[in-house]
Amino acid sequence: MPRNIEPWGNSESRGILVVIPAFNEQNSILKVIRDIQAEGLEADILVVNDCSGDRTSEMARTAAGVRVVDLPCNLGIGGAMQTGFKYAMAAGYEYVVQIDGDGQHVPGEVNKLMAAMRQNSCDMVIGSRFLDVESFRTTWCRRMGIKVFYLLFRALVGTRITDSTSGFRLYNRKSLAVLSRYYSSDYPEPDAIVQLRKHELKICEVGVEMREREHGQSSITPIKTPYYMAKVILTILFSCVRSRR
Amino acid sequence: MLPVSSFDKIQWLGIIFSLIIMLSVFFLVRERLLKEKYSLIWFLIGLFTLTVSLFRGLLDWFSNLIGVYYAPSAFFSLLIASAYLLLLNMSVSLSNLKAQNKAVSQELGLLRLRLEEVEKTMSKSDKENY
Repeated sequence: MPRNIEPWGNSESRGILVVIPAFNEQNSILKVIRDIQAEGLEADILVVNDCSGDRTSEMARTAAGVRVVDLPCNLGIGGAMQTGFKYAMAAGYEYVVQIDGDGQHVPGEVNKLMAAMRQNSCDMVIGSRFLDVESFRTTWCRRMGIKVFYLLFRALVGTRITDSTSGFRLYNRKSLAVLSRYYSSDYPEPDAIVQLRKHELKICEVGVEMREREHGQSSITPIKTPYYMAKVILTILFSCVRSRR
Repeated sequence: MLPVSSFDKIQWLGIIFSLIIMLSVFFLVRERLLKEKYSLIWFLIGLFTLTVSLFRGLLDWFSNLIGVYYAPSAFFSLLIASAYLLLLNMSVSLSNLKAQNKAVSQELGLLRLRLEEVEKTMSKSDKENY
């Protein structure tokens, strides 16, 4: 494994960094940024453009006060998010919020994540579509999948998680330290839960609203669902047996 | 002494094939097209096929040892087994390469951002100086 080089050294402590992983999101990226800025969060915004073929980077750069990282190769959502984690660690941010570039996540819900982190003093808060709120329409197939993951996590890491694949998350520096070192490329969200539990960090969930995507399509089509499930389950099992890093 | 005059056609074929492998490996390493690390395993495979081609009795002895009646089968099994190991080795190298490639890409992206920021502050202070 390659070693981590920290280009920024130790900067002064900063607050919240919103990381927006984006791959071909030229139609929605600007709206996502505007939504976040309209929310009045005291947060900096970092867009990680995962080698998009469209004008995602240019669109993001038209917004004021936004930093954009252009990755030279397409690394997938895991690699893109990890870039954000590395940046946050190097630049001294206390918290990272992930908000996807497709507009699914509602920036107004970030406060709920923050409140949950303070109240329960946990190290990662997951915004769940299935806790409390029933706004998110989803297929029967997907619900079954979620149930399987719920049981699997309860059995393997003893944490009750209803939405293990949700990317809408808040991390503190302790969990960033773990995930900036290792963050899975393939199915990072469930894997990160296992990783953090292995480092005895606390994870909690809070119910949030999510929007239907406006542009683009989910990468998971109905035909691919069983295949996706099998791969994620395999990933989770592997993350459980993998040595701690 | 080896009974060269009694060699079968297939033995000659095996010997020539082994020599081609070993010579190719040698030249590939010499021209820096193949890393020494990977050359060793290929060289050993060449050496193995050469030994088996030179001494036919060896194969019979080995197949007897592991209880295979048809000697060439033992040979094939061995070759397939070593091919599997070699492929596994390649997958490990590939995974390692991918992890390194990911880290380098991330670092490059972050450095690019850093450079943009530094350039921005530089041009700002340039303007202030003039």
